[in-house]
Amino acid sequence: MSILFLQFLLEMMFLTLVFLHILKKNSEVVFAYIIQSILISLVLFDSFIETGNILMLWVILCVLIVKVILGPLFFYRLIKRDALAFSVSTYLNSPLTLIFISSITFMAFSKNLLPVTNIIPLHHILLSLSLSMIFLSLFLIINRKGALSQIIGVLSLENSIIMFIIFAGLEQSPGLQIGIIFDIFVWIIISTVFASMIYNKFGSLDVTEMNKLKD
Amino acid sequence: MEIFFIVTLLIVISLLSILIKKRTFVEIISLSGSLIVLYLSFLIALKVSNTGSDYVLFNFFSINSLSAIIIMIVSLICFGVNIYSIPYFRKETDKNIIGFSRVRQYYIFLNLFLASMFLAVSASNPIVSWIFIEATTLSTAFLISFYNKSSSIEAAWKYLIINSVGLLLGFFGMLLYFTSISPDSGNGLISWNLLLSNVSHLDPIIAKIAFIFVLIGFGTKVGFVPMHTWKPDAYSKAPAPLGALLSGALLPIAFFIILKFKVITDMAIGPLFTKNLLIFFGLISIATASLIMFNSKNYKRLLAYSSIENAGVIALGFGFGGIGIFAAILHMIYHSFVKSIMFFSSGNLLLKYNSDKINKIKGALKVLPITSVLFIIGFLIVTGIPPFGIFLTKVNILSAGIKIYPIITFISLFFMSIVFIGFLKHISNMFFSENDENIVPGEDNIWLLIPPSIFVILLIILSFYIPPFLNNLIYNSTLIY
Repeated sequence: MSILFLQFLLEMMFLTLVFLHILKKNSEVVFAYIIQSILISLVLFDSFIETGNILMLWVILCVLIVKVILGPLFFYRLIKRDALAFSVSTYLNSPLTLIFISSITFMAFSKNLLPVTNIIPLHHILLSLSLSMIFLSLFLIINRKGALSQIIGVLSLENSIIMFIIFAGLEQSPGLQIGIIFDIFVWIIISTVFASMIYNKFGSLDVTEMNKLKD
Repeated sequence: MEIFFIVTLLIVISLLSILIKKRTFVEIISLSGSLIVLYLSFLIALKVSNTGSDYVLFNFFSINSLSAIIIMIVSLICFGVNIYSIPYFRKETDKNIIGFSRVRQYYIFLNLFLASMFLAVSASNPIVSWIFIEATTLSTAFLISFYNKSSSIEAAWKYLIINSVGLLLGFFGMLLYFTSISPDSGNGLISWNLLLSNVSHLDPIIAKIAFIFVLIGFGTKVGFVPMHTWKPDAYSKAPAPLGALLSGALLPIAFFIILKFKVITDMAIGPLFTKNLLIFFGLISIATASLIMFNSKNYKRLLAYSSIENAGVIALGFGFGGIGIFAAILHMIYHSFVKSIMFFSSGNLLLKYNSDKINKIKGALKVLPITSVLFIIGFLIVTGIPPFGIFLTKVNILSAGIKIYPIITFISLFFMSIVFIGFLKHISNMFFSENDENIVPGEDNIWLLIPPSIFVILLIILSFYIPPFLNNLIYNSTLIY
């Protein structure tokens, strides 16, 4: 695939992250994550075409099973079971959130971070965009009050780091990648169980409702 | 093959705990397993000490002097935790706090947690180490929410999210180090040694950025301020034996990964950058923990802040360098054991008083005399009172710093004194006040006293005599880090 197509995929991923910041419905947030994970699979598929490593197909398969099918399935079940149609609000309102997103993106493209975004000079823009996605995912975890949004934020952070790794030419062996995906799979299960436990105990997924920890 | 047996054994015990229906069997296999693990760990340590070189197996495991020390620490605490857990959870079952299914869940996750720790510290590949450090988070999350109360679920959630984000940042930093390696070398499996041999290709600015990410990421697991916020909550809500493992075993493992990257960074850009960062995080951790400890209202949270303070002391030791490094490694060992004493004693207090609030513990010296003495000895050791070992390690760390960083050394000394005063205030309120007449005096079970007593004896011996093999390991570690 051409570099332009990869750039297009990355830009789409960036957009899903922006949407993750704006979307209010939990189901839409999960859907945005599915799109993001499909885009990751496509980028990995490009890596397979370039390297011809057949084991990469297993990695792609694992990504599809864990991030596109099983993970979202758990999330949708949680949303359906507990009738969590809407996610809770953010700490910053939408205009301020958008201003922050712009600033963070601008920061990722700044000269100060050039050593990191210039690891492969040809991929400078792609790496800058990937870095901005890492920052945006962190901001998503901090800015959102909903436990489910925080879970998606962590997973989105992981996706963003993977994008950075791919464009920086730092891909690990397929065996290790599968190990990492397995870790993520267990993480998804555990975090979903905890989200469910939070709902049962607090009657909401709003983390600001959790204030039982006092000295 | 010892490390392979250790990990396999722990995983098998965990699986057996799922299948076995009888509580006594679950307890016995876990305890016996921990004894075997202890024996095998000492064999590894002796091998590394005698040969003076790394213990390597299947190109997957690589154990150097410091990891051998940490493996010994983990196995000793694991053994102590296994002895203590039996009477502790039996007592909680008698009080209808938990049932057998919870106890079984505890042993399943405990052994998985232990296996993950051994794998993280012995893996020859940084990514594998990262995977298993993440696995420690996943296996302990359910142990923190063990009592299924709102507060414990909140603590576990905080622990899960903060540590996962931290570790992902650490992962990112870790990958930045891989830029020094050409895509053709290592067949995608990048070992610690390969990173070291390619360090000359590492861009200095990338090395700096990478180390910051690693320090923040794994520092979250260590509990450096300001990434420490999960720690008091998790420690206070987890069962007492788990507190000992989190503080005594997990902390050194996360520290170990930071030190591995410190060596690589130092080779790339010189030691000043990493030293300054460690001193910075060490100092703010000591300062913040000491001030919060002074006004702490919960004795388990007090122990958590004490761990943060001691993580800061260890960071200072590595930051100051020289004799400070030797003292920091020794401090790590002492701290792990003393925290076991204190968490086990705090468990006894919790069983008797049914509260972890300091103001609810009255006249404990009369109510639980042996537990109280153990806790007070723990307090004296952890705050660095002579003649215990921590006194010497603190003195050595501070003396290493006084020539180069006199102001930082004096500020650290000041906050260490605040820790002592704050701790002493709580100790006098808990142990030397008038006892509550509603509480029946007397220790609950002799087996609840044996593990902390073993660690007290061990610490007293280690304060005056360090076995040659251990001395060898510490000395060799000092040369590396």
